[in-house]
Amino acid sequence: MSSPISIRGVSRRYGRDLALDIVDLEVAASEFVALVGPSGCGKTTLLRIVADLVAPTTGQVLIGIAPPAEARRTRLLGFVSQRPAVLPWKRAVDDVAFTQKITGRRGFSPADLLRDFGLAGHEDKRPSQLSGGMVQRVNIASAIAHDPQVLLMDEPFAALDEMKREEIGEWFASELQVRPKTVLFVTHHIDEAVILADRVVVFSPAPGRILEVITVPKARPRGPEFRQDPRFIETAAHIRSLLFDREEVPA
Amino acid sequence: MIEMPPGSAVGTAPAAAPEIEERSGDGGRRALSLVLRVIMPLVSILALWYLAIYFSGLPAFVIPRPERVLETLVNDRSLITTHLLSTLQVAVIGFILSNVVGIGLAVLFMAFPLGRQLLMPAAITLRNMPYVALVTVLVLAFGDSIGSKVTIVVLAGFFPVLVNTSRGLQSADPVVLDRMRVLNASWWETFTQVQLPYALPFIVSAQEITGSGSIIVAIAAEWMISSTGLGYIINRAMQQYRGDQVYAVAFLAAILSFLVYALVHFIGERLSWQAGPGDRP
Repeated sequence: MSSPISIRGVSRRYGRDLALDIVDLEVAASEFVALVGPSGCGKTTLLRIVADLVAPTTGQVLIGIAPPAEARRTRLLGFVSQRPAVLPWKRAVDDVAFTQKITGRRGFSPADLLRDFGLAGHEDKRPSQLSGGMVQRVNIASAIAHDPQVLLMDEPFAALDEMKREEIGEWFASELQVRPKTVLFVTHHIDEAVILADRVVVFSPAPGRILEVITVPKARPRGPEFRQDPRFIETAAHIRSLLFDREEVPA
Repeated sequence: MIEMPPGSAVGTAPAAAPEIEERSGDGGRRALSLVLRVIMPLVSILALWYLAIYFSGLPAFVIPRPERVLETLVNDRSLITTHLLSTLQVAVIGFILSNVVGIGLAVLFMAFPLGRQLLMPAAITLRNMPYVALVTVLVLAFGDSIGSKVTIVVLAGFFPVLVNTSRGLQSADPVVLDRMRVLNASWWETFTQVQLPYALPFIVSAQEITGSGSIIVAIAAEWMISSTGLGYIINRAMQQYRGDQVYAVAFLAAILSFLVYALVHFIGERLSWQAGPGDRP
């Protein structure tokens, strides 16, 4: 059973700079919410606050009914970092198994997970023997190996080529039907956000605050054919207008 | 003439032959390179040595001929071996304790950053104190004992281990540390599974300095305060104008230090997880 995320009045300052303005957001259990916005608008900061990696300056986050530290303690969280967090001395399969060893939770078979991510035949290779995209796929596999209830993903597909990006996106879409999770997903790809998410949260430039929360007008899972759907085109165009029209207006 | 079908075993033999030749050629080149790497330094040292004898005009007790030194090594082998074992005992104990102190302090400083602020200035002061002053205090306190000599080796050796290990422990990738935090790994798990492996290449690098240095420092300590060990032999040989013995012991010490360095380097390469053959650039 996945847990809801409640973000109430959260802001974050780095010294005198306000990175994230007051943010309020309720994410339902098993909901997939994408965060989009210009670089430096505080999306990653918000994700790190939810992951209990950064403390908010004001406000609070609850995962279920407990703060993020409690969710960490009960091994509910999975965090996919933008830069691979793999161990350079471990083989791919051992890195995935390492997450399970630390958490004591065996969600997926490491070999199966790597195969699903197109890494069959590369299980015994270390990161230095893999390409950047392959390492990122090991990173994603390692982050979800313990089958977390809450998945926090920071531009997880940024290092992947278009084909792998779609393949793994589809894998997630179908996997979430079988094992529902609450997902917060940071991305710069508007199309990706609209294909994968239930709702898309659009952030303003720094200091980041929510401009609009857009519900995607078709239930998940959605395949690549959804790109041709007028609802997709309309939703993506609306997000683009929020982001780009605003950027052109001087503050 | 018998025609072989294309692709048959015999038919492919000539194609494979150049590969075999190439491999044996590679082996030959590698052997030649190894021989040159061993012989060339020796030839260079001997050449410089003879040139120094020829041009300096110094007496034989100051700069003896290499063959005389070799003769001394053979003739005095019993005496030299006895004192060599004494030196090795000091060096090995000092080396181990240098690591215990250096790595121990580095871990302590990482776990308790306040400890770094309190103890690091003392460590730096100890490191920079003239050994002659330390030796005087140690001799007054403990006399000519193995403890005094080991203490000097430790004081000289622990600092590179401390600095390198600290740097290595801090080199762990922050993204990996974030991963451990999100997975709620314990301090011990993070230390043993992440920080220590990241520090390993740094620790090995420190061993290359401390390992070979331990022998040299042990000899220096014996030279100053002891009646045993290679340092003592050098001291006694100087008083007896036995330049050949001084050179014999120095030569032996240099070889030993080099062997320790090579051994540590060899082990370090096998322990290190850093880039190796088959890695992507």
